[in-house]
Amino acid sequence: MNNPSKSKSGPPIVGVSKNIERVRELIEHVASTGLNTVVFGESGVGKEVVAQNLYQKSPRLGKPFIKINCAALPEGLLESELFGYERGAFTGAEQRKKGKFQLAHSGVLLLDEIGDMSLPLQAKLLHVLQSGGEFSPLGSEKDVKADTWVIAATNHDLKKDIEEGRFREDLYYRLNIIKIYLSPLRERPEDIPPLIDFYIKEYASMLNNRHIEKPGAKVIDRLCTYSWPGNVRELQNVLKRMLVLGDCGQIVEELFNSERIVSPTSGADDKLNHHASLSKILDLGGKNSPENQSFSLKTAKKNAVEMVEREIISHVLGKTDWNRSKASKILKISYKTLLYKISDLNIIPPEK
Amino acid sequence: MKKPFKLLIIDDAEEILTALTNFFSQKEYDVVSAANGLDGLKHIEAKDAAFDLIITDLVLPNISGVAIISIVKKKFPDTPVIAITGWGEHPESLAKEAHADYVLEKPFKLPELEQLVKKLLK
Repeated sequence: MNNPSKSKSGPPIVGVSKNIERVRELIEHVASTGLNTVVFGESGVGKEVVAQNLYQKSPRLGKPFIKINCAALPEGLLESELFGYERGAFTGAEQRKKGKFQLAHSGVLLLDEIGDMSLPLQAKLLHVLQSGGEFSPLGSEKDVKADTWVIAATNHDLKKDIEEGRFREDLYYRLNIIKIYLSPLRERPEDIPPLIDFYIKEYASMLNNRHIEKPGAKVIDRLCTYSWPGNVRELQNVLKRMLVLGDCGQIVEELFNSERIVSPTSGADDKLNHHASLSKILDLGGKNSPENQSFSLKTAKKNAVEMVEREIISHVLGKTDWNRSKASKILKISYKTLLYKISDLNIIPPEK
Repeated sequence: MKKPFKLLIIDDAEEILTALTNFFSQKEYDVVSAANGLDGLKHIEAKDAAFDLIITDLVLPNISGVAIISIVKKKFPDTPVIAITGWGEHPESLAKEAHADYVLEKPFKLPELEQLVKKLLK
């Protein structure tokens, strides 16, 4: 989650829409500047890909590219991850530890989900940026100076967060020297066919190009009309499912069914849909029925487990108002596992 | 005849951009205008750009005025830049850090801006 990125060449920015063309053009023009940048866009839209592209086209290529998720760690831990600590700075600090800010020296530090950073830590970050990268690790008397290119990413409307007192205006202006905005996929359906093309090629080579059923023109047309609440990440998951499980038509059906479930409907309708989708996902009456050659209990089980998990996690997240740390306690799974499941199962936070 | 001074004006508020462009064109300046940072930067990076002075708003879509100032001061340290800021926006200190030659707050009078331009072009 917050490990240094190993791959030096990340994915390209795929698309033909005005938005994507503009983003590519912006990257070309600003990658060499090293000026603080914020990448805005909904979850799953490819903000990290933009950051990687900025890095690759910058003179900092080959230097560290370090990512840290500001929403995944509690405040104190995030601070020590960012700025490091000295041995004995607090109970359990047995070894000196360098912060990500320092580890990213001469390279890039990607602050993912910056909108979730606490106000006290925002103040500290602002101070570091104002001083040109100077800070003191916890428990240390000496200042450390790091030449780090800070790229932040967020799905928040930071202007609104400022109005509501959740984000510092001075930090906003300090970070937002360059602003790159990625539109949600539903606003640029023309990007869907090239994205499908790109990922099919990529996944096919991952699957050793063995015989796979690729989505046909009809399926692609339907995918272009879907709302993609999980954006490109959801598209990737759908394509992976299609290549691994085959039967693209069926998967498209499920997709549109799940869209109906997610959209608020009356309780009775909901229940009906749930039952319908259970037999649909398991496909007990259709092609994947136990009478059919391609049926496997393992696949049916996996689909069923995923569906149940998605339902339960969504329910608990709804109850806790998307407080992920509370939800993980209720579910009795680790915070990390919950974050993984949210992304893997494509559970989308409600619009605020 | 003396070659007119070449200005680049960047502002995302259409009425201000038009007003500034018309004003300086009438005063015999050679004016190029842009409505956002990226378009402004493209003009700056163009081969035969050679602007004598740049006027930029600070808060702009995509590439901010602060970025424009930093980039210009790195590539063309001798080109003067005037930053203009809107109401209720607070990136003035950033503009100064990026070495803007002057930060002018809105509202301002056009002759006031022209005086400043003349002073910086001397």
